[in-house]
Amino acid sequence: MIKKSFFSLCLWVVWSSSQLQAQQPLWQLQSESGLTLSLFSQLEPIEINRIHSWELLIEDSAGNPVTAATINVEGGMPEHDHGLPTSPRVTSEIEAGRYLLEGVRFHMQGLWQIIFTIDTGNAVEELMLDFDL
Amino acid sequence: MRFIVIALLIIGSGITAWNLRPAPVPDYWTEQEIALIKSLSLSNLPPLPADPSNQYADNENAAKFGQQLYFDTRLSGSGNFSCASCHKPELNFTDGLELAVAAGAGTRHTPSLIGLSYSPWYYWDGRKDSQWSQALAPLEAINEHDTNRLAIARLIESDPAYLETYRTIFGELPELPALNVGAAPVGRNETMSNWNKLDPSEQDAINRVFSNVGKALAAYQRRLIPGRGRFDDYADLLDTSDPRTDVGELEANEIAGLNLFIGRAQCINCHNGPLLTNHEFHNNGVLVVSGQLPPMGRYDGVRIARDDPFNCLGEYSDAEASECVELRFARDSNDLVGAHKTPTLRNIAETAPYMHGGQLATLDEVLRHYNEAPVSMLSHNEAKPLDLRQAELDQLKSFLLTLSAPLATDSHWLQAPLVTLPANQ
Repeated sequence: MIKKSFFSLCLWVVWSSSQLQAQQPLWQLQSESGLTLSLFSQLEPIEINRIHSWELLIEDSAGNPVTAATINVEGGMPEHDHGLPTSPRVTSEIEAGRYLLEGVRFHMQGLWQIIFTIDTGNAVEELMLDFDL
Repeated sequence: MRFIVIALLIIGSGITAWNLRPAPVPDYWTEQEIALIKSLSLSNLPPLPADPSNQYADNENAAKFGQQLYFDTRLSGSGNFSCASCHKPELNFTDGLELAVAAGAGTRHTPSLIGLSYSPWYYWDGRKDSQWSQALAPLEAINEHDTNRLAIARLIESDPAYLETYRTIFGELPELPALNVGAAPVGRNETMSNWNKLDPSEQDAINRVFSNVGKALAAYQRRLIPGRGRFDDYADLLDTSDPRTDVGELEANEIAGLNLFIGRAQCINCHNGPLLTNHEFHNNGVLVVSGQLPPMGRYDGVRIARDDPFNCLGEYSDAEASECVELRFARDSNDLVGAHKTPTLRNIAETAPYMHGGQLATLDEVLRHYNEAPVSMLSHNEAKPLDLRQAELDQLKSFLLTLSAPLATDSHWLQAPLVTLPANQ
């Protein structure tokens, strides 16, 4: 059975800094079941009006990479009642559990909300990222 | 009775006084405000973004060729119109009209070309994804240049100087079909009928020349860059270690206007970055142009862009598919109904009237429109009423005037080339 959970927990928010090591995620989210989503941006610091890619590392509660997941990305600015200016899509799995998300762009400063729907094959989980740009 | 008159006078005077009360001028900026203000300065304008779909975008000879073509009225069916007929250099590359007028009556207000090369999308509804592709459409529009791609290819072929310049930049001109009439897949019925009689290789040869003409026009238009206004000098003087607002360059009411711009008036939401535009599409509830149906805006525009044979993914583009990220990941959802592109505010005081249909004649009307944020006739107005007083709107306008400046582009690009190429001989 597909288990659908809606749980957003921003474990820690590490604001973009070029000082960060390449492997340090910009944000890390965890679902109730222990699924961890680590987010890396190819553009740091993230700027408005510049299209770029993110990498998403998905691991299960035991820290093992989750492969062959189907990931949907939606989002917008709840305070402005509009969505993302683009339709970012996961276009490939770069390595086990690590996915390339292309077409990310933000066109306003302020609070953004992004919802990742991850179908692992065993369950569908939603993780929500809130961040200020 | 006398009491009522006196009461009304007092109330009326109160409302007038309230309306005339300007916003206070802040003494200090916060660190965040200084960061926001500096983000709008031309000092933070990045280098021109590459256009991988146009390998000639930064080619000097292509830009010079594009300048010749831009001012050449032979690129029209009647011989009367060039790109400069509507995008007039002396009017900041606009025409001062509500709706464009060339071979016929236009349906859209002529947008300025200044700084446009930073945008991933062109036209008010974003129906084009590159500057070179954009440059092609008006040439064949019946109400604009009203010519056709075969006629343009023939012009290049028949003008010795154009032919030599073309060869230098793009290589040999392909052999054109022996057809002494106009031909194009769009435009007039006869022209389309002629196009359909050509075989694919002939069509391809014409398209190749036509797309190269667009690429030269884009190489020229890329160079139209805004110049520094008083605002930019002010922004550069701000210092977080001494965050006073009165650092010179701007008057008190202009500083108050800037404070509103980045704050309560929320202009910066869409008019952000050094060009004061996010290059995106928004429904701002502006009235429909008289006599027109409510436009679908970006909702239709993105679909037109995807189907365009001259888009980034098309065979006349120089880009790899992987480089066409804006087109491949373009959003097309229902909330784009009625959405139009945010224009730059650089030199905005010099480019009246405003909006995609020139619906608002003055900056005062624009500011009143956003202050009221009327309900949109189609879809929803993203803007919300601001409830600013008239004096505050005046302050905002004062700030907008500080964004005017001569272009950074060298003046020789802002006129027809001094050395004119020989006409058909």
